[in-house]
Amino acid sequence: MSPTQHPAEATLVDYAAGTCDAGRTLVIAAHVAACPACRQAVRLAEAVGGVLLGDLEPTPMGAGALDAVLARLDDPLRPDPRPPAQRPDWIAVPPPVLEAARRRKRWAAPGVWVAPITRGPGRRSSYLLRVGAGMAMPRHTHQGVETILVLKGAYEDRGVLYGPGDLAENDETVDHRPQVTREGECVCLVNAEAPLTPLDWVGRLFQPFVGI
Amino acid sequence: MNAIACDIDAWNAPHRPRLLRGVRPQPRAKVNPRKDIAPASGVRHAELIAAVSERADRDAFAELFEHFAPRVKSYMLRLGAAPEAAEELAQEALLTVWRKAASFDPSRAAASTWIFTIARNLHIDALRRTRPPPAEDPADTPAGPATPDALVAAGQDEARLRQAIATLSHEQAEVIRLSFYADQPHAEIAVALGLPLGTVKSRLRLAMGRLRTLLGDQA
Repeated sequence: MSPTQHPAEATLVDYAAGTCDAGRTLVIAAHVAACPACRQAVRLAEAVGGVLLGDLEPTPMGAGALDAVLARLDDPLRPDPRPPAQRPDWIAVPPPVLEAARRRKRWAAPGVWVAPITRGPGRRSSYLLRVGAGMAMPRHTHQGVETILVLKGAYEDRGVLYGPGDLAENDETVDHRPQVTREGECVCLVNAEAPLTPLDWVGRLFQPFVGI
Repeated sequence: MNAIACDIDAWNAPHRPRLLRGVRPQPRAKVNPRKDIAPASGVRHAELIAAVSERADRDAFAELFEHFAPRVKSYMLRLGAAPEAAEELAQEALLTVWRKAASFDPSRAAASTWIFTIARNLHIDALRRTRPPPAEDPADTPAGPATPDALVAAGQDEARLRQAIATLSHEQAEVIRLSFYADQPHAEIAVALGLPLGTVKSRLRLAMGRLRTLLGDQA
């Protein structure tokens, strides 16, 4: 089934333009991989990028750049070191991410684990977050944009059900308490521009341990 | 004469790229304001890539290099790369064009789109070592030899998209241009334009929607 919750068009344009940071690109790429509609939107944006590339003021290349490249044309190709992806019932995520989950996940609270993927620049981070069946997150808001994609399972947030492949963008205007559905655990791929801001005592109590 | 014959063929080509399918020629649309880019440049570039793919044609490659490398360098600079890195990435991008020319599929993307995505992916690779492989990476599948019709159609599509962009309002065109090549997030674009962030984002959404309508890409 195709995802029903999508990134904003402006987000897809940023993604196509290459102006998103690495962590955010990771999350959006996983959604786009699962979403035919967003692939179409990205493709249009890429075509626009191509047209506008032709309009850019050229910056002269260094002296001898063409000769240097011509000399390298016959270099043998290095084999691609990336192993083939293995992802049974998960949304497409690159193997290094799953590897990070395997090696770095740590239980942060009963039923909750966090596996850091990237840290920085600044307060940015991306991580996998697992929350057990039926559990609710402590009430919280955000600073900057949090981009969150469901990889497995589902959660409910302010009347909207987010299932595998669905993506949400939450910022400081959001005050919420997402709840995982009863059917099973929910695993999300998250990129946040800053740690979340707890709005109740439970969250304030747990945040130092959870580290997100 | 040859070029005109090719144009007519393009309209009859059975294999039209999905992006622009159903678009009618717009004889009264605004003329391309750029004098230095021939309308047929997209066809030319597609043919050059095919020549690289089929004959390992170094002259064709050199022509692609002269056109695209300095522009890819500009793009990299605007993405925040240092001058040496931008130079290196531009060289690397064109080297990738050479190596992956066989996977260029004009029924999927115009030449400029294909080279743009190669450059962008190199930039993302440079940001981190583990770029997620996109679900459909056009750069990795051999496409088979392109028919002349398909090459022309790809160039025509690019020209039509260019025309569509030219029919956008100044405000919409500006916000698209800034989103791609201003090296600043939307929040800063908003400040630069003296607009609320939400307005910038909705203007961008409207602009992309307008392009979609103009191109008949409603699917």
